[in-house]
Amino acid sequence: MATRLKHMAGAAAVAPLALLARVLDPPLRALQRVAGQGGMITFFLVPNMAIFGIFVLLPLCINFVYSMTAGPELFLAQRDWVGGAQYAKLLDCEDYTRPATCDEDLFWTAVWNTARFVVVQVTLLVVCATVTALILNRELRARGFWRAVFFFPVLLSPVVVGLIWRWILQRDGILNAAMLDLGLDPVNWLIERGWAFAATVGVTIWAHLGFYALILLAGLQAIPRDLYEAAEMDGTRPARMFWRITLPLLMPNLLVVIVLALIRAVQVFDEAYVLTGGGPGTATLYMTQYIYEVGFASLLKNPGLAAAASILMGGVLVVLTLVQLGLGRRGESKGKAR
Amino acid sequence: MGRITLTGIEKAFGHVEVLKGIDLDIGEGELVVFVGPSGCGKSTLLRLIAGLDRPTGGRIEINGADVTRVGAADRGLAMVFQSYALYPHMTVRQNLSFGLENIHMPKPEIATRIAEAARMLEIEPLMERRPGQLSGGQRQRVAIGRAIVRNPTAFLLDEPLSNLDAELRVSMRAELAALHDRLGTTMIYVTHDQVEAMTLADRIVVLRAGRIDQVDTPLGLYNRPANLFVAGFIGAPNMNFFAARIAGGQAVLPGGLAVPVPGRAAEGADITIGIRPQHMRLADPGAPALEARVTLVEALGAETVVHATLADGERILTVLPGQPGLERDAVVRLAFDSADLHGFDGAGQRLPEP
Repeated sequence: MATRLKHMAGAAAVAPLALLARVLDPPLRALQRVAGQGGMITFFLVPNMAIFGIFVLLPLCINFVYSMTAGPELFLAQRDWVGGAQYAKLLDCEDYTRPATCDEDLFWTAVWNTARFVVVQVTLLVVCATVTALILNRELRARGFWRAVFFFPVLLSPVVVGLIWRWILQRDGILNAAMLDLGLDPVNWLIERGWAFAATVGVTIWAHLGFYALILLAGLQAIPRDLYEAAEMDGTRPARMFWRITLPLLMPNLLVVIVLALIRAVQVFDEAYVLTGGGPGTATLYMTQYIYEVGFASLLKNPGLAAAASILMGGVLVVLTLVQLGLGRRGESKGKAR
Repeated sequence: MGRITLTGIEKAFGHVEVLKGIDLDIGEGELVVFVGPSGCGKSTLLRLIAGLDRPTGGRIEINGADVTRVGAADRGLAMVFQSYALYPHMTVRQNLSFGLENIHMPKPEIATRIAEAARMLEIEPLMERRPGQLSGGQRQRVAIGRAIVRNPTAFLLDEPLSNLDAELRVSMRAELAALHDRLGTTMIYVTHDQVEAMTLADRIVVLRAGRIDQVDTPLGLYNRPANLFVAGFIGAPNMNFFAARIAGGQAVLPGGLAVPVPGRAAEGADITIGIRPQHMRLADPGAPALEARVTLVEALGAETVVHATLADGERILTVLPGQPGLERDAVVRLAFDSADLHGFDGAGQRLPEP
């Protein structure tokens, strides 16, 4: 009786889909008779390919053409063709480590800020995510709750993250109010160069930590428990167990996390922009913000220069993505060998 | 030395009692096999001895020293896991040396021990491979090797052959027996395979629902099972059981056949008579016998397994030697020696000797 009820409930649930399938069946069959089986494949792929083409591939190509033009005008027809001049301008530098000696000094400021951000943020993020995953993998009380707590910031929009932390860190923000209450001197978190940089690093780590911790947690849970028991029988101390068993077996996940974190760190923009606006001065001006401001937000708009900068940054991202794909393949073939 | 004594061992997971007072003394160099159905607590008991879990009650002694609260690493035991639990990212050599490096053993001694174990287990050509590149049998050897190099007080083996195919299982079983003879180290072996238990064990411990039902030599268990459970569990195919009543000093079976009582039982008592399928034969004409109708004949060549039903519908299984040429629905008359009968009282316990 119960199974019959279940069966009926299931049938009722899929009824609309079944109806849709029945309605769509005759025209699709007719189409297949005309187009053949190969044609059907094209028919199903075209919508997605069209969307990808119009919104990704085409802009990418237009962007490349823009990078070969100059002037403030928006329409390509009105713009002057300058060839590689924008790239030459970006790369014209006496000493790349000193942005002041470069023709486009802001670009190099942004490059070095981003490089510093990537190194510090990715290192801290990976360490924090690993520690978090290790803790969440233990038999904690209310483990599900803690996992949700660490994952929650991932669900927030980056602008919301930026705003929340600005309210906390700004001069008359919650943190300074709390410090005053405790009799401490308030700190200009978002106005002093060092603290502002640290804030962008800390806030982006807080926002993304849960995602990476989740990937690492999945890796930790895939390590069979009896390996640890065998190691325990072998008299392995906890630290050695971590370095010799956990870490090597977590390495595939760790590599994915590092490369993904690198890609996202190079693209850092929204949280940092809402939090500090690139300031104080240019202390937290990162690449994406530079491109956005040069292309759209500054008084002297220069879409050509912004396009050239974005192509250079795209090159870095392509390299990182290829590394990630390579690692993914290696992981797959290793999995097959096992 | 490798004497292990368990006294009143109890283990509960929350409200579930898994082990309910285990007392056992395992002698030096003995190979003891824990058998029992799934969930009887045999693996749990092994883990308690290993030190991977802590008992909720009772005492574990190794060579007279109380190790109940001592960590797994400090008990001097080595374990072979059902899944082998080899470190997948290390070579065979590294797998073998890992535990020895943990105790900071000098490198030359590690090399000597590994070479010796590798020679003994014939895994020398595999030393630089990783576990993923080994077959099941080779992994099994490496897992045993990892235990051997530690030179333990006792080996604990948790269903070590269950992941191997049938043919390999037979040869590995023989190798394990030879290894035990050569090393002379105490071994505790958990299995649900009674053939493994019967062929390897010096003594078998039959566990049921967290208690020990019987501890005896393999043939002791086979010939003198302490209760109905052990009688049914040991021996394949399972022992046949018939309800019987004591009348006139004899046990009366279904169909009215009266046989001598295998043990002491009161007049009028209801008992259970057990007889192994291998202990029955086709009766001579006119001799007293159980009459049964054949329902299935499984001819195995050297022997024939005959399924049949008695007049009262009771099912009976016999293993007859050779190829007796029986057909389905044939009526057979089955005889047996009264010395091969087992008697159990109403509580399922073996009847006391007369």
